[in-house]
Parts: sequence; structure tokens; C-alpha cells
Amino acid sequence: MTPILQWLAMLVYLIVVPPLVIGIIRKTKARLQNRVGPPLFQFLFDLIKLCQKSETVSDTICWIFRSTSAINFAIMLVLAVLLPWTGFKPQIHGADLFFVVYAFALAKFFTILAALDSGSSFGAFGSSREVFLSALVEPPVILSLAALGIGVQSSDLYQAFSFESLSMAHQSALWGLVGISIVMSSLVELSRMPIDDPTTHLELTMVHEAMTIENSGRNLALTEYAHVLRMTILFGLTFQCFLHAVPWAYTAGPLLIGVIGIIGVLLVAFGVGIFEGLAVKLQWRKNPDFIAYSLTMSLLACFIAVGGGIVK
Amino acid sequence: MIHNSLVLPTSLVAIAAFIWAFQALISLLSGRKLNQIFAATLFGIPCLCLIVAALTGWNHDYVFAAPAALSFGHILWQQKLDSLACAFIGLLGFVGLAVSFYSPGYLSHLKDRIHLGQYWASIGLFMMSMMMVVLSANAVTFLVFWEIMSCSSLALVASEHKEHEVQRASLIYLGATRIATAFLTVGFLIMYTHFHSWEFSAWHLAGAHNVVLPSILILLGCCIKAGIWPFHVWLPYAHPAAPSPVSALMSGVMIKIAIYAIIRVLVGNGSDSIVVAYVAFGLGLISSFWGVLFALVQHDLKKLLAFSSVENVGLILLGIGVALLARPTGHSVIGTLALAAAIFHALNHGLFKALLFLGVGALDASVHTRDLRNLGGLAAKMPWTSACFLLGSAAICALPPLNGFASKWMLYQSLFRTTWVSSLSALDRGVALASLGVLGLVGGLALATFTKAFGIAFLGKARSRAVATQAHEVGTGMKLAQVILAVSCLVVGLAARPLTSQLSMVSAGLLGVAVSHEVAFPIPIAVFSLSLIGIVLIVYMLFLSPNRVRRHITWECGFGEALARAQATSISYSQPLARIFNPALRSELSVNIVGSDKRHFPEVITFEPELGKPLENLVYRPATEFIQYLAKWFNKLQTGSVHLYLLYVCITLVALLFIGIRL
Repeated sequence: MTPILQWLAMLVYLIVVPPLVIGIIRKTKARLQNRVGPPLFQFLFDLIKLCQKSETVSDTICWIFRSTSAINFAIMLVLAVLLPWTGFKPQIHGADLFFVVYAFALAKFFTILAALDSGSSFGAFGSSREVFLSALVEPPVILSLAALGIGVQSSDLYQAFSFESLSMAHQSALWGLVGISIVMSSLVELSRMPIDDPTTHLELTMVHEAMTIENSGRNLALTEYAHVLRMTILFGLTFQCFLHAVPWAYTAGPLLIGVIGIIGVLLVAFGVGIFEGLAVKLQWRKNPDFIAYSLTMSLLACFIAVGGGIVK
Repeated sequence: MIHNSLVLPTSLVAIAAFIWAFQALISLLSGRKLNQIFAATLFGIPCLCLIVAALTGWNHDYVFAAPAALSFGHILWQQKLDSLACAFIGLLGFVGLAVSFYSPGYLSHLKDRIHLGQYWASIGLFMMSMMMVVLSANAVTFLVFWEIMSCSSLALVASEHKEHEVQRASLIYLGATRIATAFLTVGFLIMYTHFHSWEFSAWHLAGAHNVVLPSILILLGCCIKAGIWPFHVWLPYAHPAAPSPVSALMSGVMIKIAIYAIIRVLVGNGSDSIVVAYVAFGLGLISSFWGVLFALVQHDLKKLLAFSSVENVGLILLGIGVALLARPTGHSVIGTLALAAAIFHALNHGLFKALLFLGVGALDASVHTRDLRNLGGLAAKMPWTSACFLLGSAAICALPPLNGFASKWMLYQSLFRTTWVSSLSALDRGVALASLGVLGLVGGLALATFTKAFGIAFLGKARSRAVATQAHEVGTGMKLAQVILAVSCLVVGLAARPLTSQLSMVSAGLLGVAVSHEVAFPIPIAVFSLSLIGIVLIVYMLFLSPNRVRRHITWECGFGEALARAQATSISYSQPLARIFNPALRSELSVNIVGSDKRHFPEVITFEPELGKPLENLVYRPATEFIQYLAKWFNKLQTGSVHLYLLYVCITLVALLFIGIRL
């Protein structure tokens, strides 16, 4: 495919897939609860509605609040272009493992400061819970991606997820464990069930919603889109891990892998929707136990990578 | 190439030394009538000289000595200026330049509390001695200027000596410096008896026997000065007690001088002792975790920054430990990368920690409090200070594209590469992986700490009326100092690639291996930042700005405008994380309820959180009490009777004669 076609395809993905991901999660939960549920593209309609509304900001804020949504959007856009979350090869190389983790941290930094900016106690509680979760979930994320990196002897995620690194072709256990660890860490970072219920708006349970409680209008549209794009990227990486666990994927053609990649993201969204419909929110003091499960999976993956004798 | 002549860098160094000594003398003689601008100019010119010397002396080796009349006994006053020294001299000059811009404005707020002549004299001596320590080529020169550095910094820490807290802090700092010098002196003496030379370049530690003990002593002596766990207890006392420019110099530069000493004496001479390497690695790892954990729960901004210095110097020592472990086993790429990461992080930390301390000083000068329980909402009244503090916080959290990210990336990369090498034992690779995980946690905790520091101090509403009314932006000098440090953080971050290649040459030279092209910083940071800024600007201008915005109060559930004290406090922000790590923090809550019926009709509820200090209470306090007990016991020997003293003299003489004849 020519580069222009690839960029156009990426543009279409970024407009279509994130709303579909969140739409599938909500629709699945609704059907499990015997409701009809919102239309699949409701998120897109919500964004359009928000763009037409005016914005109300607190009089305590400074420039950080007004620019955070643009900064988050920019960071997620750059990461969506760099990371191999679709089955297609990213057009631009540069997805270094530590760079990606710290780019996510940059987005979190500004989100937290924007929440503290308005002087609202909701924002402060959300920020304090967000730093709690993100500090505890950094080791599992770094270790699981490092396990992949050990296999290809590089910290370049592009190389790790590439279908040409044949040394990783038969490491099903490694890919499976990394996939489980990443999906559990993603649920924690995105503060979805069982860490936090994203549908309630109670002081006791909000993390992400608490931080965006002061946003409105176009600011809120950008923030929500950046959040859903992050969800899509992380679910995409999860599916890529499970896809790499199947040795057949290394011999299939790139177009087929690309199509399977997109369908896979939606499948992961479906799975997360079922999980959210059935799961019970954990007591806040039990959240570190859930993160410990994710850390265990990543440590097991590291043991396999170090002791498994992967020959490049 | 070794030049012996008086070329530009060496002459600039000599000029700088003279001007600082002259400035110290003038300040002492003028006393309180000293003109601030004159003193600051005299202080700043040598800093400029040092920056130029560092840039021109890069990649050259100069050895020069003072005339024989100025030698210490029969040991020459020798100096050596090579690339490693240039790096640290450049850092010293740059931070010193910022401090020279900053000091006049800051001191005008402190005028009645400190003696200006003593301050400028001490700070001139401090800078001169730090420069001489970096340039020392033999152990005696090093110790002489190390002592001058300790004593002048003590005088600076004790500037506001009328405060009880400052007196206590000065005594603790004095004790720490004495113990550090003792360790260093014994270490150097043992090295001298082994190698029969005082010069550092003559101590060839590679493959030598019996050098483990002096190496450990030197390492521990430098660790005490650098603030590594478990010797870090003096840092949280000394840095808050000192005036802010002094804290910036101490935390930004002096701690790194101790690290420089480790690199020069141990790494540069080829130390291949596994014990030394593991001690450095272990202490560094524990310090980084301990420091950031304690930083998270502080409510005094300067104490928070002091503990954060403990964390960062732990990271630097971790890099040095990895380099010391990698070299004997022949993994030159890992060693070069780790040492380059350590040096780079030392320079970067000097820049952003100095920036943060100057920012806290500006805050202190403006609202006269550093306590997070009273601060808030300063971003509107102090826009320059808050923007620079934001940049410093982002840099210390290692966020791209700033300089902290570049050095931390290299540190991560060196540990990561250790896990690839299949010839290493599984234990070594496992330890490297575990340290990767611990560093990830440390990074997450640092993010929590600095979002707390910036968010609670500068954002939201002021938590006390005094802060709300008194806050104002500081003067031009203080703003300029912070801006040049902030811009330098950004520039160093964007220029990470060429800087890394230069530093990799330095570290390869120190380790005695060939330069490898694998030691590089491959991430296109400039492209990333440009694309990020471009997207942000486009989105902001086209999408967000044209929208009409209505201002209203913060949402508070319809109850109307909330009190400023209803906002989150520093303790509530850090409570979820502090609760998990409570076994290490040992935080206790004392609640006192006063009222006619405590349960049903309380009148006053006092709620005091405090940190139990395990290291101080379990180790240092018993040790000091034991020494005091010993001293009181020995006091019995001093009876005041001349006859008894004559008897002591007689017994000593007889004993010495006996030993002299018998042996």
C-alpha cells in the first residue's frame, strides 16, 4: 500500500474504531443487563454534540486547564501513529519501550494537574487515586514489555511486535502472559472495572470521571476522545500479544493480519464488555491485590524470557 | 594529549579562583555594608569563566600545578582538567551564574536575619573550594579543599543561626561532614601506604590486592557526603535550614562533587572489586526508593526536595554500580552506557534541582512560608515562578522531551541490556530485571510527589489568608535565574543525542574501553516535541480558542462556592500511597479531642500526623547516646588536679620509652 493510502487508512481507523470500541463495551453491558443500550456510534454523536456546546470553566484555573485536553490529544495521536496496535506496520518507527511508558506518564501528568487546577476536591481525589494506581501499575507494564524486549534484544517495540522477528514466533506462553498482564494493567490505568465503575459518578468511586468533572464543551470532547483512543491503543496491543501467541500469524499475509488486527480490537472490547457486565467492583483497599496479579503475570513472562533461551 | 602550559582553560580556572578568594576577602572586610550588586557581579564573573573553561577544555587533558611555595608540606598542589572535570566545572559555573542573578533579590528579603558579609564570603569560598576539589589531582589537595568546602557550606547552612532549627541542622551537618572526612582520610592513607603516591592517577586498582578496604572506605565517605541511604539523615535537616540559593548549590552541585570523587578515584582507576560494585548498586537502589517514598509524605517543600535529592543521587550511584559490575566481566557497552547515564543524570539533576530550590526560595520570599498546608493558588499571582517550577517538576519526573528523560532512559537501557546477555548468571539478570521494576515504581512515586508539590502549592486556591493576600511575583534577578535554568533543562533535553555521544566518549575513556556506536540516544526527541507542539497549537487555535467560554465557580455539588480549606491537602493527596508503604514510613496519627463530652460534644479536635523516623530512632540516636555516655565516662579523668595530670604525663612517657626500646 502506498504511504498516502496508509495514512488515509489510519485516519479512517482513528475516526471509526475508538467510538466502536466504547460503543461495543456499552452495548454488550446493556444486552447483559437486558437493556437495549445506546447505538454503537453514540460516542461519535456525543462528541459532535459536545463540540456545539459552549464551555464553562472555573475562575480558579490557569493556562494548564485550558491546554491539557489539546496536549493529551496530541500525545495520544502521536502514540497511535507510533505503536503497533493495529496489525499494520506503523509508518513511523520510534516506539521505544521506555519512551512510550513515559509519554503516557506525560499525559497523566497534565491530566492530574488540570484536575488540581480548579481547586475542586473531586479533582483532587481523582488525582490522588490516579497517581496511586499509576505508580503501582508502572512495574507490571515495564516488566511485561521488557520481557518482549529481551526476546528481540532491543527496546524497540516495533521490532518486538513485528512479524519478521522469527525468534519470537513460537513463544506462545510468553506472548500469552504478556497479553494477560497488559490487559489487566490497561484496566487499572483506564480505571475501568473492577478497579472503578466508570458509569457511576459518586465521590467514593470516581477516578477518571473525577478528573474530568470540570471539563465541558469542546474541552470535554477532546479529553474523552483522547481517553477512548488510549483505550483503543491498549486493547489493540493486547490483541496483538494474543495474535503473536498463535504461530500461524507469522506466516500469514500482512493484509490479512491487518484486517484481523482491527477485528481483534473489537473482540477485545467485546470481552471487556462481558467482563464489566459480570464483574463486581473491588473495594478500594483491595486494588493492589489486582495489580499484584498483573505483576505476577509479567514476572512469569520475564522468567520465561530470561530462562527460556530465546535465540535471536 | 597532556598540556603543561598556561592555556586558556587553566588560566580561566586560576582567574576564577583568585576572583572568588578576593570576593571572600572583600565581603569579610565590608561586613554588613556590602553592596549586593557588586558582590553578585564579583561572584558571577568567575562562574562565566568556568563555563567558558569547560567548553574550551573539552576533550583535552591539562595537568598543572601551583608554584612550589604554595604546596602542602612537600606535596604539590596539583590540578587536572579533563573532560569529566570539565563537565562538573561547567555545571558548577552554570548553577553559580543562576545563583549570582538570584542572590541579591533573595537576600533583600532576608536582610535582617543573616549577616551579608559572612554569607558572601562563605559562598565565595564554597564555590572556589568546590572547583578545586573537582580539579584535584592528588589526595592531599583533595582533602584540603574538601575540608574548606565542608566548613564553608556549614557556615552557609548556619546563616540564620538565631533559629533553633537551624542550629540543630548545622550540628547534624557538622557531624556528617566530620565522619565523611574521617572515612576519606583513612581510605586515602591506606591507598598511600599501598601505592606510595598521593596522586590519583598512580592508584592502579585493577587487579591489585588489598585495595577492597580502602575502596569501601572511600566509597562510604563519599556516600555520606552525597546523601546515600543510610547516611542521608543530614540532608532533610541541612537543606531546609540553608537559604535557598545555598540549598540549590548544595543539592545541585555539592552532592555531585561527592559522586565525582567516586568516579575519579574508583571508576577511573579501574576498580574491579565485586564488593565495591555491589555495595554501590545496593545502596543506590535502596536510596532511590527510600528517598522518593519519604519525599511523597513531606509537607515542607524544601524537605520534599531534599528527599528527592536522595532519590536521584541513589539513581546516579546505581548507574555507577552497574558500570563497576560490567567492566570486569568485559561488557563494555553496558558499562559505558551506565557510566554515561550516571554522569548525565548528575548534570541534569544539578540543573533541575537547582531550578526547583530557587523556585521554592522565590515562593518563600513572596509568601514567607514553605508549608504546603498553607499554600495554594500561586500560579495566577506568580506566573513566571510557576511556569519554571512546572518545567522543573516535569524534568525531575523524567517526562519527554526534557533532560531528566534522557538520562533516565540511558539508565533504564543499561539495566535492560544486562538482562539480554545470556552469558551472565540468571541471578544477575534477575537482579537487573528487578531493578527495572523498582525504577518503574520510583518513577511513578516521583510523579506522585511532584504533581503534589506543584499542584498543591501553585494550583487551586490559597489555603490561608496570608498567602492569598501576600503573593506577588518576585523581582527580575530571581526570575532570570529560574528562566535560564529552565531553558537549559529544555535545551539539554532536546540536544540529548549529541550530548550522549560526547558523554559516551568520556565514560569510555574512564573505563578504558573503546567507544561503541551502540551507546547512543536513538529517540528522535526533537521531532517528537515539534510534532507535539505543532498539533497542540493547531488544535488550540482552530478548535478550542474560538469557542466562547463562560467563567463560573468550581462545581461543588450545588452547595455554592467551597471554602479554600475544603480542598485536598498534601496529606490527603499522598494518603493512598503512604498507607501501602506505611511499614517503611511508620506514620502515626495523634488525635486529641477536647470538650465537655469527647464523643458527643467535642469542642477542639487536634489532629497531628507525624513520621516515626526509623533510621534516626533505631540507629543514630542510640549511637549518639552511646558516644555521649562514653564521653561522660572519660570526663572522670579530668579531675582538675595538676598532680594527677603530671602522673598521666609520667605514665605516658614511661610507656613510650618501653615501647620504643622493646620494638
